[in-house]
Amino acid sequence: MDDVEAALKPVVYYLSYALAAAEYSFYKIPGSAVIARYVKSSHQNDPGRTLLELLLVIFAISTLLHSRTRADKSGRHFIKFTEKEIDELVDEWNPEPLAQPLDEDEQADLAAVPVIAGASGPRPTLVGTGKTVLNLASYNFAGLAGNETIKDRAIETLRKYGLGSCGPPGFYGTIDVHMDLERDIASFLGTEAAILYSQGFSTISSVIPAFCKRGDVIVVDRGVNFAIQKGIQISRSTIRWFDHNDLNSLVEVLEGVEKERRKRKGPLTRRFIVTEGVFENDGKMVDLPKLIELKLKYKYRLILDESFSFGTTGRTGRGLTEFYNIPASQVDMLVGSVANGLNSSGGFCAGSKVVVDHQRINGTSFVFSAAMPALLAVSASEGIRILQNSPQTGVLERLRENVRAVRGVLGGVRCVEIPSCEESAIVHLYIRSSSSEEDQSYLTTTSAKNNPTSAQPRNPPTFHIASEERLLQHIVAECLSHGVMVTRAKRLRGQEMVEPRPSIKLALSAALKREECVFAATVIGDAFVRVLEGEGRMGVAK
Amino acid sequence: MVAKLDTQTRRWDDSTNSTSTTPSTYSSDSSSLDSNEDGDSSDELTQPPPTSTSEKAYGTLHSEFGHCLNQEYRRTSRHTLGSPVKTAEEHDPPYYILLSTYVSYLFLICIGHMRDFFGKRLTATNYIHLMSHDGYAALNSDFDSFYTRRLKQRIDDLFSRPVTGVPGRTIMLLDREFSANNTNQHLTGTRTRALNISSYNYLGFAQATGGCADAVEEGIRQYGVSACGARLEGGSVDFHMQAEKLVARFVGMEDSLLSSMGFATNSTIIPALCGRGSLVISDELNHASIRFGVRLSGASVRMFKHNDMESLEALLREVISQGQPRTHRSWRKIVVIVEGLYSMEGTLVNLPGIMALKDKYKFYLFVDEAHSIGALGPHGRGVADYFSISPRRIDILMGTFTKSFGAAGGYIAGSKTLIDSLRAHGHSGAYAESMSPPVLTQVIASMASIMGVEPPLPPHSPRTYVNGHANADRRAIEAYDYPGTAPTSLLPQWLSLPPHLRDGSEGRERLRRLAFNARYLSIGLQKLGFITYGHPDSPIIPLLLFNPGKMPAFSRMMLARKTPIVVVVVAYPATPLVTSRVRFCVSASHTKADVDTLLRACDEIGDALDLKHGPGKRWSVERVIEHAVELVRGEVE
Ligand SMILES: Cc1ncc(COP(=O)(O)O)c(C=O)c1O
Repeated sequence: MDDVEAALKPVVYYLSYALAAAEYSFYKIPGSAVIARYVKSSHQNDPGRTLLELLLVIFAISTLLHSRTRADKSGRHFIKFTEKEIDELVDEWNPEPLAQPLDEDEQADLAAVPVIAGASGPRPTLVGTGKTVLNLASYNFAGLAGNETIKDRAIETLRKYGLGSCGPPGFYGTIDVHMDLERDIASFLGTEAAILYSQGFSTISSVIPAFCKRGDVIVVDRGVNFAIQKGIQISRSTIRWFDHNDLNSLVEVLEGVEKERRKRKGPLTRRFIVTEGVFENDGKMVDLPKLIELKLKYKYRLILDESFSFGTTGRTGRGLTEFYNIPASQVDMLVGSVANGLNSSGGFCAGSKVVVDHQRINGTSFVFSAAMPALLAVSASEGIRILQNSPQTGVLERLRENVRAVRGVLGGVRCVEIPSCEESAIVHLYIRSSSSEEDQSYLTTTSAKNNPTSAQPRNPPTFHIASEERLLQHIVAECLSHGVMVTRAKRLRGQEMVEPRPSIKLALSAALKREECVFAATVIGDAFVRVLEGEGRMGVAK
Repeated sequence: MVAKLDTQTRRWDDSTNSTSTTPSTYSSDSSSLDSNEDGDSSDELTQPPPTSTSEKAYGTLHSEFGHCLNQEYRRTSRHTLGSPVKTAEEHDPPYYILLSTYVSYLFLICIGHMRDFFGKRLTATNYIHLMSHDGYAALNSDFDSFYTRRLKQRIDDLFSRPVTGVPGRTIMLLDREFSANNTNQHLTGTRTRALNISSYNYLGFAQATGGCADAVEEGIRQYGVSACGARLEGGSVDFHMQAEKLVARFVGMEDSLLSSMGFATNSTIIPALCGRGSLVISDELNHASIRFGVRLSGASVRMFKHNDMESLEALLREVISQGQPRTHRSWRKIVVIVEGLYSMEGTLVNLPGIMALKDKYKFYLFVDEAHSIGALGPHGRGVADYFSISPRRIDILMGTFTKSFGAAGGYIAGSKTLIDSLRAHGHSGAYAESMSPPVLTQVIASMASIMGVEPPLPPHSPRTYVNGHANADRRAIEAYDYPGTAPTSLLPQWLSLPPHLRDGSEGRERLRRLAFNARYLSIGLQKLGFITYGHPDSPIIPLLLFNPGKMPAFSRMMLARKTPIVVVVVAYPATPLVTSRVRFCVSASHTKADVDTLLRACDEIGDALDLKHGPGKRWSVERVIEHAVELVRGEVE
């Protein structure tokens, strides 16, 4: 009994204290006294009325919220027309065609997309020519494509679960194999939990807006991939940009944001740093230890997209955290691709339980989309098992060796520039231009000031997109005629916030032999030389 | 009222808990779904009724796809030409129901705030992640998460119920236990097989056995599980091309484009359709993926009242005459986006009405057929088929494979020019993983079995198109074969389908069973006195509960029955505040007896929870069941 009393004492105390505080602050609002008097007297006369009025207020608010569907006739710019005038205007209006036909280049581009006849893998056959080629275009980093164990597990799963999940995770779409895969990913990375999305590309564009709302601050790298750009666009947060992969520039921006905040004396808002582990657009790698140090110092949360490092980088493919030996729990939201890294489909976000559970209610493409097919989840779990065993089987070591082999050959070709880091399993190839040395130097000049509110860098590197893409496409065709399948990195020109430089994107695979890689790289190097010399622009900037 | 409900709910809570060890639940570590191995062989959920002759006649597992041979229980899903289209009609419940609904929300909100108030002071550690601390703003402030923590958490056991096996006619639930105010849950290790009236398995293609599953197995052997990349880079296989041609033919368009996720079909393709200077006119209840895509597109957006042609026309007149905001420059183009069948309302788009407006106002029409493709129309080709309108009069048809086809992903279909442009400019082509081969196989196999593979089926009905408009391009409409069969040339050579799939007979059977079940359940519920929303031919049937307290009660009572039934309950924010509902999705895999079971369950629970507030004369449940066929045919009033 005493216990209860003792426990209640603070309750009672706090209750009276809080009521007093609430009353005090309420009366501080101008006009509040009038309202209070009104409510008091009306409540005295008719207690039921208070309730009705409260309901009325709710109704009013809900109709206000609904009025978005009504026509906006009150606007300053509204012109009143008679019905006849409207009919005439309707008759006169001539919409543009829904879609413009593709221009010749675009058509040629579409026609040139390689199509594999039958299964994809290291040595597929192409539709059209019927030739067998070496595949340096498809994502098959750990060589999981066509793995017989995975196929067997997939078929087993098919025979128990059927194919589709026929529902979103909230409504009977959460299958035990999804929970297993989530647990596998979390324990592989060493985080508390993980959540699965059913498409890799759509993962981060839902993760970002699940956390970042209007008024929050996102500090983001200028070189991030398209999916991240879409995520921050949806979020409506305040965006600040720092120079691509330049952590000094990041510090500047972080300081700037802090200064702004102090000046405004606003309340504390959520702040995020968004960047990639290995960048999709050029294969550069972020300095994660330094990044973590900064995020902790400035108290930001880190959303790290490891779509191209998960499954490839680090001893067992756990990505940058493994490579730098940093606990994955230091990254608040670690996003990766099940499709790229594990040759299945979908994406994930790993993090603390709070972070993951929040997404189960707020991750738009998680909540409003069917869960992934069971057999794809099981295939991915099997993929993780293969990665975990990679120190014994040497799968990832072979991948790294192939990367080294290709870089070794192409690094010696004068007209090729490789921006990608050595740990990246995708290797981008630029056309080296004579001005590229200056391109390098602009990063260090401080003459122009960084404008963090604009996605555009201060000294944008100069390259001519159309002509470089045309040349690279020649190189791709040239390689194909020698039995090597490569692809240009395809980009939606005009839709990217900062136009990435045209490149050829090699995706290396542990399933290729070293000699094959050397051969392919030689073919590619020769093609570069031949095409660029043919153009008479070897080492010449346009 | 509230208190009464609360105790009712609690009572049912208890009974749910106590029944969790009754014979309907059994524990077994065998993960095989075969009914005999599972030991639940006496269960009506897994054993076909003795009258039905057998698996041989059907070739399906009764637990996945029920055996129902009576040809009376069939119907063709088609709009009667010239009759008015039933759009949203809403019966208001008695005033006291509305009032008590508001009161219960108020009550819940007050209780929630009180608990927060004391909780923050007494057990501060539980609130740390909701408050600013250590220089970090809360990831999810106590205010933003209030609804989730204080309202949804109370009924967390109704959502995200984990399952195993095939989401077919029945589904196997993994039982959970909750502790610490629903903040912790763990699996008990037991399982419950329940009648599944919740999955989007309209045509019953969620199957681990049968022709489609066999085809998928072959597909995995041939192609593995991944196509390894984005469509425009290294992720295209011949299979994608074949599937795209087949899908185009299925929906009656020139060309189509596949995407590996239904949500992403909208969110990554709509931005390639329209941009600044264009206007999107969107139904107010459109799906989140459409909103996502529209927001990314940069186009202006206006909304019209759900499925209301007057509201749409008024809006069209306004926006065309006013032009763009401020500048009054005329719009570059206007795209009206609607869904074929609305997943929360069960309403069918008023397509004839929209087509009439389209001819006058020259907008482009985008129809999201996520739920209607496969599920509606005499040939399963969606709303256009249902209304006998030529699909080519619609500009963009979008749909998903996650529902009727038991697969995953989605498609966009339209003219060749449009689709090529989307291939090049949509986000998916360049950046998203392509559709995986097993999924493609399921799509092709299920679609081909609905269409029937050549030689063509004998026509079972003459077609009439509503296209007496000068603008309609007659040439284009007459020049293609719709709703045609699947030519062998469009199928992979290694694909073999059993005869009943190949000739389209099973596909047609599925369509006709679904049409019967949908109408039977919808009319049956109305006869019992419930308020339901939506079109009577819609396989999605929302039954209105109104009061939030009735959601957990309804769902738990359904699950606690001798034949457990799993249902989906939805409330605010997915629906307006007052119209909490339970949503049934019927399937071709259900038998008439399954619908009877469901009707009986609803009848009992409806009485217990005071749910019968619909207009019209009430029938007893036995009378409804007895007169099912007449009800569906509209032969009795
Ligand atoms: C209208 C509509 N569009 C798109 C989708 C998304 O489809 P999926 O679940 O295949 O991602 C849904 C699914 O719920 C839907 O209802």
